[in-house]
This record gives sequence, C-alpha cells and structure tokens, in this order.
Amino acid sequence: MRKFMQKLERHFTGDGKLQKYYAIYEMVDHFLYTGDEVTRRGPHVRDGIDLKRAMVLVVIALLPALLFGMFNVGYQQDATRSVSANFLVGLRYVIPIIVVSYAVGGFWEILFAIVRKHEVNEGFLVTGLLIPMIVPPTIPLWMVAVATSFGVVIGKEIFGGTGFNIFNPALVARAFLFFAYPGAISGDKVWTVVDGVSKATPLAVAAAKPAAASVTTAANSGIPFLDFFFQSLGLIKGIAAMFPDGVRQLVTAGYSWSNLFLGFVPGSIGETSTLAILIGALLLLITKIANWRIMAGGLAGMIIMSLVLNIVSFGSTNPMLSVTPQYHLVLGGYAFGLVFMATDPVSSAQTDRGRWLYGIFIGVLVVLIRCVNPAFPEGMMLAILLANAFAPLIDYSVLQRHIKRRQKRYVQ
Amino acid sequence: MKHIRIKKGHDLRIAGRPEKIIKKAAAPRQLKVEPPNFSGIKPKLLVKEGESVKIGTPLFYDKLHPGIKFTSPGGGVITQIKFGERRRIEEIVIELSSAETAVEFGAQGSSALSPGDIKTTLLESGLWPVIRQRPFSRIADPEKEPKAIFISARPTAPFAPDIEFLLGENCEGFQAGLNILAKLTAGKVNLVIPENTAARCLAEAENVDLYSISGPHPAGNVGIQIHHIDPIRPGEFIWYVSVQDVMAIGNLFSKGQLPLEKVICVGGSSLSKHLYLKIRRGMLVKDILKDNTISGEARLISGDVLTGRKTGLENCLGFYDEILSVIPEGRERRLLGWMRPGWDVYSLTNAFFSRLRPRSDSILTTNRNGGVRAIVPFGNWESVLPMEILPTYLIKSILARDIDDMEKLGIYECDPEDFALCAFACTSKQEVSEIVKEGLEFIEAEG
Repeated sequence: MRKFMQKLERHFTGDGKLQKYYAIYEMVDHFLYTGDEVTRRGPHVRDGIDLKRAMVLVVIALLPALLFGMFNVGYQQDATRSVSANFLVGLRYVIPIIVVSYAVGGFWEILFAIVRKHEVNEGFLVTGLLIPMIVPPTIPLWMVAVATSFGVVIGKEIFGGTGFNIFNPALVARAFLFFAYPGAISGDKVWTVVDGVSKATPLAVAAAKPAAASVTTAANSGIPFLDFFFQSLGLIKGIAAMFPDGVRQLVTAGYSWSNLFLGFVPGSIGETSTLAILIGALLLLITKIANWRIMAGGLAGMIIMSLVLNIVSFGSTNPMLSVTPQYHLVLGGYAFGLVFMATDPVSSAQTDRGRWLYGIFIGVLVVLIRCVNPAFPEGMMLAILLANAFAPLIDYSVLQRHIKRRQKRYVQ
Repeated sequence: MKHIRIKKGHDLRIAGRPEKIIKKAAAPRQLKVEPPNFSGIKPKLLVKEGESVKIGTPLFYDKLHPGIKFTSPGGGVITQIKFGERRRIEEIVIELSSAETAVEFGAQGSSALSPGDIKTTLLESGLWPVIRQRPFSRIADPEKEPKAIFISARPTAPFAPDIEFLLGENCEGFQAGLNILAKLTAGKVNLVIPENTAARCLAEAENVDLYSISGPHPAGNVGIQIHHIDPIRPGEFIWYVSVQDVMAIGNLFSKGQLPLEKVICVGGSSLSKHLYLKIRRGMLVKDILKDNTISGEARLISGDVLTGRKTGLENCLGFYDEILSVIPEGRERRLLGWMRPGWDVYSLTNAFFSRLRPRSDSILTTNRNGGVRAIVPFGNWESVLPMEILPTYLIKSILARDIDDMEKLGIYECDPEDFALCAFACTSKQEVSEIVKEGLEFIEAEG
C-alpha cells in the first residue's frame, strides 16, 4: 500500500502530469498514513492532536444521534416493526442524503483546495454529516446538493475556508433550505417517509394556537397539522388544567417528556433524541473539543428565559409561553444545535467570557423566537446564526474590558 | 517572601531526563564562537585568521553598541573564520594551545566597585552579553539602567538543570555575582526560587528581593515571572541573567579571569547517557557527546526541545544554552492514524486513550503530528499560557501587523519562549512562538 502510494506520488509532484491535483493525492495519502513532516524549528516536538483527529472525534460524537435518527425514520413510518427493520428503512432514506452531502461538499472542498493550493481541510467531515442530520428524511436529494453547495461555498469558502467563516456552514445550508424551499423543510408532511401521512413535530403541536373560533375553517383548511391539532383540542377540554397549555398540548398529542427525551418523535433526522445527543455531548466535553462554557451558557439562557415567559404567560393565548424549561430542552433542534452547532469553535465567540455570553445569548434567543415569533416555531437555527453574527461583537466588548484591565495593572 | 502559584502550563513527561550526576567533559582541542547566537547585533571582526589569542581577547564587537565586545573563551590560535552569505560571520574557530594564557581583568572585591567600573570590566571581559533585556531578548544596552533585574533559579523547561542540585553548598560565586548585579540598577534584583527550597544559597541569598514560584512549565521562564512580579510597561525594560552566569560574573571579579566552564544538562531518548556535564564554554557538540552514542536518525538541539535551535555535531553549544537535547527525528508514517485509539500518543488533550494510562517517560519525536491548518480556537493555547494575555487575539493582531493592537494586548510582556507550549499544543500546528518573534521584530524595526 505504502509503495503503491509512493509510486503514485511522482505523478502529483514536481513535473508530474497531475501536479495540479496534488491536493487530492495529499488528502488520500494523509488519510491512509500519518504525515512524515518534521518540525523545522522550536518547539521541536508537537502534541499528538491534529485537526483530522479533532474532526473525526466530532463525527464519532455525532454517531449516536445519527444511528438513532436512522432507526427513528423507520419507526415514524411504522412503529410496530422490529428495531432492525426500522433501522434498515431509515438506512435507505438517510444514506443517500449523506452520500450526496459528502460528495457535493467534498467536490467544492477539493476544488477550492486545488485553486488555492492548500491542503484539503477536515472541517468538511463534520459539515458534511451535520447537514443530513438537520434536514427532514423526505428531503429531495437535489435540494441536499444545492443546500450543501450553498452552505460550503457561501457559508465558508468565500470567507477563506475553514477557520475564517463567520457562520456555521451547515446552518447556512439549512437556512438556505428553510427560506428557499419552505415546503420541503417545514409543515407536517415532511417528517415521516410515508406518503400522504402527516405528523406535526412536537414544536408545532406546542405552538399551535387554541383559537376556538376558527375551528371549522381551520379544520377544512387543508393544512394537516391544524386539523390534527383541532382534533386533539377536543380531547384537551376534558382534562383538568394541571399543566400549562403548551405542555398540555404536547402530552395530549402523545409527546410525553420521556418520549421527547428518548426521541420517538418526528423531526429532522438527527435532532430528535436528546439522550443520543447528550452521549455525543459527553464525548465532546471530555475531549474538550466543544467548549463547556457555550453549552452551560446556552442552558442557563434557555432556563432563565423560559421561566420568565412562564411567569408572564398568565392570561395569554400563546401556549408556547407556558412551555417549561425541561420541555424546551427536549423539543426540536435545541439540544442538537447547542451541542454540535453552537460550539463550533470558529463561528462562536473566541474568548472565555465571550463564550458564556454567546451561549446565554443563544439560550435566550431560542426561547424568544420559539415563543414570541408566530412564524417559526423552531428557533434554534436562527438563534445560532444570529449569535454567530454577534459573536465578533461579543468578543470585541470582552477584548475592550481585557485591555482596560491590562492598563489598570500597569498603574499599580 | 511572596509566593507565585502558576496553574496553567505543562511539564513534558519526556524520556531521557538527565540523571543527577555531574561529570567533567574531556578537555577539548577546539572551541568555537558563533556570532549568530546573539540576536540583534552587527558583528565587526577584531582578529584575523592565524592570530593567536588569549582567554578574554576580544574577537569582535557589536557595531550598533561598540562597547559590547565578544571575547575568546580559550587561548590558542584562530584557525578559521567562516563567512556565510553577504559575508555574515558564521563562526570563529579557536585551536587551543596546550598552555592557555588569560587576559587579567584584576581581582577586585565587589564592595569598592562603582557601577562604572563594573560595566567596564564586564564589557572588556566579554561577559557583558550574559545580561539580556526584555522586551526583545537582546543583549542589555550598557548605556541604560533597567527598572529591575530578574534571575530565575527554577528553570522548568524539559531537561533544564536543577539549580538547587547545581549550586550545592558553594554559594560564594553566586552571592558575589548578585552583589555586583545589585550595583547595576537602582531598581530591584529579583531572585525567583523554588518553593520551600532547602538550598541555602537560594533561601539565604542577600542583596536581592526573594520570590518563590511553583507550578508547571513555563513557570520557570523569566518572562512569566516578570509578568507576575513586575510587568513591563511600554517603554520600560528589564534585565535578566541565568544563575550560572551570575556565578560567572561573581567569579570574574573575585579571580580576575574570564570563567571558562559551565554545567549543562545532556538529555533525550536518542542518547545512551543522560547526565549533567561540566563543559568549556564554546565547546563543540561532538566533544560534548564524546562518551555518548546517538541511536538512529536524531535531531541535535542546542537548548530545550521546546525553544532550542537545531544544531550539528560541528557547532558549538549556544552561548546562552545550558541544555543539549537529542531526540529522534519522526519520519515514520502510521496507517490510519486518525482512527487509532492512541495508547502511545502524547497529547495534552483527551482525544487519545493514552490519557487513561499516562507514561512518565514518553518518547517524543520531531514529527509534526499533523498538517498545518487555519487557526481553529479550541482553547489549547489559553490552557498552557499562565499570563493575563489573550493569545488568540494577540497572535491575530501580529498576523495583521497591527502595532496598536499588539501593544494594547501586551506584546511587550511576551517572548517567543513563553509561547512555545502554545505552539506545542496547537491543533492547527501553527508556529505560535515564531509568530510572536516576528511580531516583536516587526515592532522593533518599526518603532
């Protein structure tokens, strides 16, 4: 194997015919074998960690959520089948999405590496897997290709590639889908792979307005999730108002907290199981690839903001206001976004204090968008993208404080 | 005594640490002086090939500071002066004669000396260059007076000599040197010693302000100590001297001759013997390693593995270096390295299983362990820099050549050696200490 690669090398280096495509050779070569490059100056020894290892660890951290997601795609289609049968069904839907995402993203990554004459960056290992995990299983493959291209080129490469992007490229891809093809990524039909059957995501259930006056029109509106909701509304009436509205709507629809936590609910491929995501989070925290401050800040911000909204929810007709923190944690893309997307070291804040603020900002914003914004029940994508945009500003203010403190040290 | 506790940092658990045995190296026949060892000088020769010199005869001086002379570490004949590109002086070779003679500088008690006398003797003897200044790590400017002088008696770099062991009970030269340094500044002479030291020479040192320090490398670096004791403000500067050079200063004044020897540490997994060695100043690496065997392809480093310079058998040990490290070159390629569990990978992160079973003596090679990538701020730099400095932003301001920001973020307090661990720990394999060096050079040239 080694000899084979060495034989190939001459075609890519010096006067070789394929010299232009050295980036491809380099990528394959270093994928197979660790590099033989030695340090040129002090420090003469270096840590064993490199970006390849770090990115592979993120991929490993994503695996529990991905595997559960594959199973869940089948489970949402037919809950009565065996686990392995469900998993195989999921595999059939998810693998093509992953293949398209990696192929298209990899193409752009290599193209830019060749044009810019640098080595292919491992950042795409993660982006290419994140994109399939944050789209519905029914997404047409061409949309995955377009969104991946948009995410990689506009979200990352035009800024100079991994390390220079201001937004998380996978989220840019999802935002692109969300605004360009809302029909394919929102509503109720997209979350299950069975034709004609619609299931509302738990978030949509919780957010649905109990506007009793419009029951009839809504029931005939042809918007399936509204029909579903209004059917369930009839059931709710009999139940004593022990729970706040949003939570009651969830529980009535069969989305108990434990169901949501374990992930047996419709949603994007990778986002439904908070448990699987937490396993990944643990690995990221142990290896310190994700910064704990961002996760802690995001958790704190979400809890504080949802409690505040719980208090002001009396007398309001907005059921989302009354959703309690533990439900926000397990609903929608919150956990997935906080663990895998908000913690992207490049697009998040880069000072320790800034990371706290950035996390809190996301936590507060996600609850606000979910509860107060009538258009999008899912707030995580926008919360993180907004926080990405504000991260440099957060860092700037932290930096100014740092400089002031330094100046004070000098006075003494 | 004020104590400074350093938390951030890391002591490399690297194999080949020198045992605590001091041996004397066999007398060499040849010594070298390499002007490139001194950064920031413009050497002008004072001797020609074939001339005979004594110990202490000036060989060249610095055109930028004509008072600073560099003298011969041995007596004999100059057999060769080697020039590089643009007639840069690379090395001056001195063939030692069997009976070496020395220039007399006059033995003098320190109490009667004026600061002017001290400076003159140090400059004439060629010992002045052992005093360096921060920022910029240049030879101290004799025209100016520093706000303080720092001496670190607790070096923490890999294979660095244990000063307590080195000094032993012989305090005379060291204390004499401290007394002389105290006369060179109206400011303080700060001696930083290990916590709870048993060494009398350190704990009972006079004429100095004592500080003790504990914690992992780079706690022993003088830059970290300055940062925590008396930070450098823009426009200020501090002098610093190594403990052995303080002793050399003391001995110069008590004996009247240029001291010839120093003790160095020889270590690294490529060597058969790891020990403390008493050598002649200016001794060649091949003579230092005479009784040692090097296994395999190895890198010779004058200095420690984090901050030292690559050197060769025919070079002399660096003027300031007290360590000779020899470690294997790491050209081995491993199959699918990114998915190996990594029981044997040395890392400060928790990304490998080696974390569960740490070894006390790991063989570290010169392999870069990965490709160079754009800066991805995982926080590795911050975790090993015990300073009130934000390395990510400082480095970015240097790369942007933004002098205003560099100053605000504290570049004057920084030295490449303090950032060596950041470069070691960097996931993207960025040359962090080199970038700091470039930043300092840029500021020096522009300002």
